[in-house]
Amino acid sequence: MSFLSLILMSLFLAAVPAALLFHVSPAEIFTAVSSAEILFALRLSLITSLLAVCVSIILGVPSAYLLARRHFFGKALIETLLDLPLVMTPLVAGMGLLFLFGQKWLGETLAELGLRLIFTPWGAMAAQTYIAAPILTRSCRAAFEATDCRYELAGQTLGLSPVRVFFVITLPLARQGLLSGIILAWARALGEFGATLMVAGATRFKTATLPISVYLNISSGELGLALACSWLLLLTGLVMLVALKWIGRSRKGKVSVGGI
Amino acid sequence: MIAIRLRQIRNFILKGVDLDIGAGELCVLVGPSGAGKTTLLNVLAGLVPYQGRVLFDGKAADHLPSHRRRVGYVFQDLLLFPHLTVEKNLWLAMKGKNLDRSGKKARTEEILRLFRMNHLRARLPEDLSGGEKQRVAVARAVASQPKVLLLDEPFASLDFRTARYLRQEFKSLQRRLGLTTLIVTHNLHEARELADHIVVFQNGRLEQTLRPDDIWFNKGDAGQFLEKPNLLVCQEQICLENGLVQVRWAGLKILVPDEGRKISHLAILPHEVYISTLRPPGPPINRFCGKVKDIGENKGMIQVTVEVGKEILRVEMSPGHLKALGLSHGDRVHGIFKLRALRGC
Repeated sequence: MSFLSLILMSLFLAAVPAALLFHVSPAEIFTAVSSAEILFALRLSLITSLLAVCVSIILGVPSAYLLARRHFFGKALIETLLDLPLVMTPLVAGMGLLFLFGQKWLGETLAELGLRLIFTPWGAMAAQTYIAAPILTRSCRAAFEATDCRYELAGQTLGLSPVRVFFVITLPLARQGLLSGIILAWARALGEFGATLMVAGATRFKTATLPISVYLNISSGELGLALACSWLLLLTGLVMLVALKWIGRSRKGKVSVGGI
Repeated sequence: MIAIRLRQIRNFILKGVDLDIGAGELCVLVGPSGAGKTTLLNVLAGLVPYQGRVLFDGKAADHLPSHRRRVGYVFQDLLLFPHLTVEKNLWLAMKGKNLDRSGKKARTEEILRLFRMNHLRARLPEDLSGGEKQRVAVARAVASQPKVLLLDEPFASLDFRTARYLRQEFKSLQRRLGLTTLIVTHNLHEARELADHIVVFQNGRLEQTLRPDDIWFNKGDAGQFLEKPNLLVCQEQICLENGLVQVRWAGLKILVPDEGRKISHLAILPHEVYISTLRPPGPPINRFCGKVKDIGENKGMIQVTVEVGKEILRVEMSPGHLKALGLSHGDRVHGIFKLRALRGC
């Protein structure tokens, strides 16, 4: 019975990418992929998602470490807040971001700093960060929690400052979990649609990331272009999946530490 | 070499500990689990909060964070960094010291040579044996140029021979380097072998300070956790050529390791005397015959009193072992003193 369930589920899961692959001929897809619109969408998706991941790392890794190692007043509340984007519909999150950045005081302050978020690629990046950062924080927190904190104490008794201990002991020991978290967050940012649509809008050659390009082209009946974007998203997802598997299998002992 | 002075150390476990350790001395802390031995090491290393004063050579160290205390700590689990080779574990211990790259390299070589582990330098901790790991952990602590060395049951997980070899090696190294050292152990043989003085802990308090040999003759109320050894008054001492001494007890010839001093008593812990209803195989060395005089229970363990000639011997065993032997009052038993368990004092 269990095997039957597994086979049925696997067939269902495999049928979806197969349907995308066999709907049009590879030649058509190749032509569509090399079109200016898709290349723009690909470039924009990569730039915004990578920037979103970078911001998520800067905000998420120290936060995750703090949550994993310290107990402080209001920790439960902050944990709930951090988990909120994980359960919130991206479209609703996007609407919230739209209203937040649409506030006069915030919008104008950011504009004075040269940062216009509404209906710009920066908005896409902000939306992707909102969705990706909690995922990254959650994974990194689990990675830090899985690392025995007594190694940090051992490092301190050897005369290493807490900052140095973090970089030469904690980070390398938590490396696998951190990398997995980064890849998951990147995958989520790359495929982000709802929030990005609300904040950045859907304008070709301006704010159209790959998922938005799928939406635009399917709406206008350009099936080849929509499928080309889907293929690209599928491919990047597959690469990330392989990377995750590879990280899971790599030996802990092969981690090297910079500077020593 | 620095002297350590602890004054009224209190925290969630310790209840006002005063302790003085002279410069270059090796102090062993013994006591039951939960007595506060490891906590005291953590206080010295600055790893747990406390009230009171820790003075290194008369200077207060309380305000110093752990990474500024220059305390080398060998944890019970050793905590070698699993992602780094032996050499890099040592190298890391020298980070932040006033040494340039070549200085660190020279120091690493020196430590590798001192601990005779040149062949281990490229290995990861997971590829080391228990004894090798222990040696690397001590080497790493020494490499950090500490003023004080703390070791928490460092030899506990090793087999008897390796532990004894490493203890002797460590003791001579400690003397050579003149490092003021505190060691936590449950093993009384280890305490006696290593210590300049032994401190008995109980319920977060320092109960008693003993000289190494006092551990066998401790008759006071303090340190009741210490298992009372059988103290066998012996006569006649003949030095044999093979590093052994022959003494006479209850009319029997007993062999003991030669420690180069006069032996008036033999000490052996009750759980290290083996008895059986059958005559054990093997050469008749350190064997005895006796009669069961009494069988009682103490803290879940069975205490058997055996009469050997006119002498009395206490033997400790588990209830399961007693059941397997089927002993009862008046039974004749054969016994063995294991050579390694006998101590002349």
